[in-house]
Amino acid sequence: MIKRWIKSWFAERYDVDQIEEAVKGQLEKPLPKNISWFHTLGSMSLFLFVSQVLTGILLLVYYRPTVHDAFESVKFITTTAYMGWLFRQIHAWGANLMIVVVFLHMLRTYITGSYKKPRELTWVLGAALFFITLVFGFTGYLLPWNQLAYWATTVGTEIAGAVPYVGNFVKTLLRGGVAVGGETISRFFVVHVIVLPWVLFFIIVVHLFLVRYQGIATMDPVSPGREPKLKEGVPFFPDHVLKEGIVFFILIGILVTLSVLRPFDLGEKADPLQTPFAIKPEWYFLPMYQMIKYFPKLIGIFITSLGPLLLILLPFLDRGKERNPLKRPISITLGVIGLLLLIGLGMLGALSETKKNFFGKTYEFNIYGIPHAFPSTGETQAKIQPPPSLS
Amino acid sequence: MNKNRFPSLFQTGPQKIFFFFLLMQCQGLGWAQTPQMSENNSCLLCHADMQEDMKGSIHAQQGIFCNRCHGGDPAQPTKELAKAPGTGYIGSPNKQQIAEMCGTCHANVEVMNFYGIRTDQLAQYKTSMHGKKLFEGDTNVAVCSDCHGEHDILPVGDPGSSVYPLNIPKTCNRCHGNEKLMSQYKLPADIFKTYQHSVHGKALLEEKDLSAASCISCHGYHGAVPPGARDVGTTCGKCHMNEKKYFLESVHAGISAQGKFSECISCHGNHGVQPASKALYDQACVRCHSADTPEAKRGGEIHQMLDEAEEKLRSATILVKQASIEGFFVEPEMAALEAAKTNVIAMAPLQHTLLPERISELHKKVVSAAADIARSIHQKQQFLRWRKLSLIPMWVFIAMMISTLWIKYRQLHSRSREKQDEKKKRS
Repeated sequence: MIKRWIKSWFAERYDVDQIEEAVKGQLEKPLPKNISWFHTLGSMSLFLFVSQVLTGILLLVYYRPTVHDAFESVKFITTTAYMGWLFRQIHAWGANLMIVVVFLHMLRTYITGSYKKPRELTWVLGAALFFITLVFGFTGYLLPWNQLAYWATTVGTEIAGAVPYVGNFVKTLLRGGVAVGGETISRFFVVHVIVLPWVLFFIIVVHLFLVRYQGIATMDPVSPGREPKLKEGVPFFPDHVLKEGIVFFILIGILVTLSVLRPFDLGEKADPLQTPFAIKPEWYFLPMYQMIKYFPKLIGIFITSLGPLLLILLPFLDRGKERNPLKRPISITLGVIGLLLLIGLGMLGALSETKKNFFGKTYEFNIYGIPHAFPSTGETQAKIQPPPSLS
Repeated sequence: MNKNRFPSLFQTGPQKIFFFFLLMQCQGLGWAQTPQMSENNSCLLCHADMQEDMKGSIHAQQGIFCNRCHGGDPAQPTKELAKAPGTGYIGSPNKQQIAEMCGTCHANVEVMNFYGIRTDQLAQYKTSMHGKKLFEGDTNVAVCSDCHGEHDILPVGDPGSSVYPLNIPKTCNRCHGNEKLMSQYKLPADIFKTYQHSVHGKALLEEKDLSAASCISCHGYHGAVPPGARDVGTTCGKCHMNEKKYFLESVHAGISAQGKFSECISCHGNHGVQPASKALYDQACVRCHSADTPEAKRGGEIHQMLDEAEEKLRSATILVKQASIEGFFVEPEMAALEAAKTNVIAMAPLQHTLLPERISELHKKVVSAAADIARSIHQKQQFLRWRKLSLIPMWVFIAMMISTLWIKYRQLHSRSREKQDEKKKRS
């Protein structure tokens, strides 16, 4: 009765049938047969973005972006606010997982050759979404105003300052002054909670529109003209949505489990007068950070900036017709090399300036990540001992 | 444009004052030349060896040379003329002369005022045991030069000075460690050795803690006298103010005022005073009170409260430290721990009241704070355990949802296969 009344109320005002048909068309839109579990990564990226927005709003209730209050307010959220620890941990882990999931989504697109004609723009927007996610991480990392955040931001903005001609301007623009301080936290906060979410939202809208409009890429080679519309295939709803539901539950489980079992430590409040040893950026910037160490500053910055540029221009550089990875040996080899380079540099970055035990022996890794056998306590003492003639 | 810019700097009143003070500062910093010792000082023609001694002394730096203490006229070219009658030459002054001689400047406010040095040293010295004996004709006692040195006198604040706080015990020991000399006055000669091993001696001589008590802290310096039984509390109370304050509330205060009880040293000793220990309740009380008396039992009661408070604080500290290592946020507990620690510290001087009811107030606070800390840490551990346990039902729910969705997905998958097979058959 009520349902009918509501339907008639809308039908008197809108063309409900047309809307229903459009929605149905979208829901039942056929997806190609090569649609796999990896095709759920895009939706998972979207889910993580929504999760970040929701937990971010909850954090905003208590967070205060000033040098004096930032750390204390995060401490309050973590220790006193009702379920604050959970929101903060989900937000922190969500940020990390979002970078992983967006990256895996891009990797899947690269392997399946989905970035090729006619989806070049979708790829470019996707790459932009990935970079914005990284900027989200960079700006959000400073907000708790702890030692690691402060010094990682100092190093990060210093790297930006090394860019020729515009570097100093960019550095001052980011910091809002000579050093990282109250102006920086204010700027990063505005960018993190106002600018980036809206920019990301609008790019996601366009990206999704293009995905829905052009459909999911098949494994067929690139068509010479316009790609024919898919007539038959796996329906988006309920078939693919069920898969997404399964992955969604797994992801939410991982997110909460990590938040409970491996919570992010707040650490110590930022102290501009006390520089901690071996300052490092977050793990997702480690490959870039490590790469810069091997080259003179300007060359290092130039090489590391080539990566994002190549990523954006990929669909215009790789003009091969094949999508099947087995028929694209060069692309896949380059991709594997790139991936290994990222993992290797990331590991070297993580190991650099640390001491680790391997097979009962201590190794000290220098800034380039090269290990040197570290003398044991006994050996050190033996070195300190004066020669027998003097003792 | 003002061409005569520099002279104008000195024209206004405030500027004149500023440059006057600037000049004064420059002098203070050693920019101004001090008079050379050898200039017009014929004493050094014969006593050249004294020049080295005098060179670093505070007196030489201030232009005070031989004739100020020894008399004579150093401007004369020959020995005879320099020591001639009428020049005031006295040669080596005796001990009484030394005291008076030093006093001519050091007891003169007009002279000492600019150095910010007290001028009551001579007056104090005359009241001291050293001074009294000296002016009675005993020349074995210490006079200014015995402690401060003669030609090589350094400022008290100079670590090389014999009267620098770290060097005081050794300086006093030069005479007070001399068995032969001390036997004349029936004084012990092993005080330095005893002091060396005391809590004060270790702090001063081993840890170089300048605030630790040395000989002069209790006996005074220029007015050095041995404190009498009634004065000991005042002497110790200069540093141990709270102990002194609370002692006056104790039952011992009355008999101490009558001089029958030496307030601090009766329990703690004097030169060989050791770090205060609760064991004193077992060792010192029984010297006057038998073990089964109510007084001794009261001591035992206080001892027990102190023990318990310290133990509670220790266990609470371990608990908080462990929780911190485990990653718990323990800032409020650490604050509570600090408050408990303050109370335990406050119990130390308060115990001198020997009033268990007063001490029990702090004791209760410490015990209650330790219990609160333990409860709070326990709650946090419980909460974390609950968080971890809640993951089990969450994963059960997730597993159920995944299974349901998977079953539905398989059904759809097999249905679509059947449809495809049918289509194939038809075609």
